[in-house]
Amino acid sequence: MTRLSAAAFLVLVTPVAVAAIDEGVPLPHGWIGTTSEWVRGFGIAFALLNLVLLAFTWRSLRAGTITGTTRGWLFVSVGLVPVMVAFFSFAHGLEASATVSACGSCHVMTPFVRDLHDLKSDTLAAKHFKNRYIREDQCYTCHSDYGLGGTIKAKMAGLGHVWRNTVGRYEIPIKIAEPYPNTRCLGCHAESQKFLNAAGHPKAELHNLVDGAVSCIACHGPAHPEQKKEARR
Amino acid sequence: MTHGSVPPRVLKIAIVLAFVFNVLAFLVMVHTTPIIFTLFMFVGPPIFVVAFGLLVAAVLADLKTKQLL
Repeated sequence: MTRLSAAAFLVLVTPVAVAAIDEGVPLPHGWIGTTSEWVRGFGIAFALLNLVLLAFTWRSLRAGTITGTTRGWLFVSVGLVPVMVAFFSFAHGLEASATVSACGSCHVMTPFVRDLHDLKSDTLAAKHFKNRYIREDQCYTCHSDYGLGGTIKAKMAGLGHVWRNTVGRYEIPIKIAEPYPNTRCLGCHAESQKFLNAAGHPKAELHNLVDGAVSCIACHGPAHPEQKKEARR
Repeated sequence: MTHGSVPPRVLKIAIVLAFVFNVLAFLVMVHTTPIIFTLFMFVGPPIFVVAFGLLVAAVLADLKTKQLL
């Protein structure tokens, strides 16, 4: 009974602890954290719980006889709880791998991420980041297409990035794999009054933007700073 | 899973594999980097499937021993 109480305490308290991490901004009254923080907290709690359960199962097996209790431990620790752990791990991992810090974890991306935080920078990416035109996951938001297909394509491309970074198969300066599609810009900007009423966006020419005949970057770039020697391997 | 019908070694391997799976998952949630997550994504599920498969095999062997299958 005591073990069960301890396990229940662990599962319930860990997400609360993770959700209570101070973000430096005053939070509204009654704030209990985001869904992501709870997913991460439950994931940590279930993983720890399962490690404890596995230890009990191992000890139970070492006793020599396989009792009903041992069967129970085996079913829960090898068959049941790992499914929960897998669910939370994938949910958290997929989300965490879209953050700016995840992109910046590769050394070659350092100049790009540093530029985002540079108050003097006027690159397109820095403007979007510093003014919070995109609230979070700025790299991922601009470098993935809209919809489920865009997410899948971006994740597959991400696997390629991890592989090339790990084995060192990339070339400096880093270049975008394909010409940047205007549809990613238009997904946010196309319906805004500032865009529609801008002198530089005559309605007669809008089809050129949609078709990709004229690139948004051509007028509003550069998107990122010129790469210097520090980005080299 | 009566004593002698299923080698405890099979179940111990399943436990060890489940342990490795959990450690990898724990790493993903505590310190998520693209490399750790990619490693978990490709290594974790196969490890779990093998562990679960060993458990199922042990259960089936036990049922056969008791002539319930």
